[in-house]
Amino acid sequence: MNAPSILIVEDDEWLAEQHSRVLTKVGYKATIVPHALAAIQAIDIVHPDAIILDVLLTGSTAFALLHELQSYGDTGDIPIILCTNLASELSIDDLKLYGVRQILDKTTMTPSDLILALKSVLL
Amino acid sequence: MSAARGKHERLLNGPLTDGLPSIVAAAHELKSPLVLVRQLSLMLEDGNVPINEQKRMLRQISLTSERALRLTSDLTRSVRLADALFTLEPVNPQQLCEDIIRELEPLFSAHNRDVKLVPRKHPLLLVANRDLLRRIIVNFSDNALHYAEGNATVEIRIGLLDKGNIIRLSVRDYGPALSVDVFKSLRNKLAHAPTSIHARPQSSGLGLYIAGQFANVMNGKIGVTRHNDGATFYVDLQASRQLSLL
Repeated sequence: MNAPSILIVEDDEWLAEQHSRVLTKVGYKATIVPHALAAIQAIDIVHPDAIILDVLLTGSTAFALLHELQSYGDTGDIPIILCTNLASELSIDDLKLYGVRQILDKTTMTPSDLILALKSVLL
Repeated sequence: MSAARGKHERLLNGPLTDGLPSIVAAAHELKSPLVLVRQLSLMLEDGNVPINEQKRMLRQISLTSERALRLTSDLTRSVRLADALFTLEPVNPQQLCEDIIRELEPLFSAHNRDVKLVPRKHPLLLVANRDLLRRIIVNFSDNALHYAEGNATVEIRIGLLDKGNIIRLSVRDYGPALSVDVFKSLRNKLAHAPTSIHARPQSSGLGLYIAGQFANVMNGKIGVTRHNDGATFYVDLQASRQLSLL
């Protein structure tokens, strides 16, 4: 069985590397992109099983990417985990329609929370 | 006393454009480095990290902490600008930029990026406070490091404007390309309307606000030129009359 492919959309280079380090350690295949435009290009190549998405990105925000993903049948079903400093200002109920399955608060999460979130959305 | 309280209230609640940086903006800017330091520390605490990775992570922790400390130091200095005296003196920008590049080299190197000074043939002198000008250029360079893509080099340039009366120090980054449509629209707006200085979308603009405050104290101004593959942030300052003595 192939390792699940996870796309990390995060413009903090070292934080993205840290997420990738955590995921790779437990057997996921991680791909890092720094912004929404690169994410759209990468999705066609890596066919991610899930996306870990920062909200405030260089260029378009995560919400532009969420809209874009929902506008195509094959990308609309990819589970999204928002990983953000703005978690306290977001509601999962408002974002479910955009494929967001979980919201992780960067300021309180632990590395294992990332793995737990992925396991729950990939069930 | 009441004036001090008013200042404090604005500091706590006011938006960035209200004259003083708000606590919210400062907190927002400091969250990112603290988040990274915490995640790396938790991973190291957990153990089972190869020794070469441990070294890399520790280096990232120290460099990220230094960036956060620079911001807090700039913020403190910016809030106290009105109460402090800043000596303006002739400063050799070439020498200053070379010092800054030496200071930032470890940070850029850790990101596999490069920062270089585009050399000038003739020496220049400008009127500035050396410490404040250093903080402005470090701020621009740090910003450029964050937005530069791949292993693009960040360039610092020194130029003359207004028949040699103004000296411009600029920091050019090569970031994400704007689409042709977006760039045309942006260029049109810039050509037909006065524009204020805005930070990149995800930034609170605190760093630029502080840089602008520092420039004002030195009778200078900051600005930005957007390119289709990045941006140039600059500070314009008066040339020193002592230039003729060189």
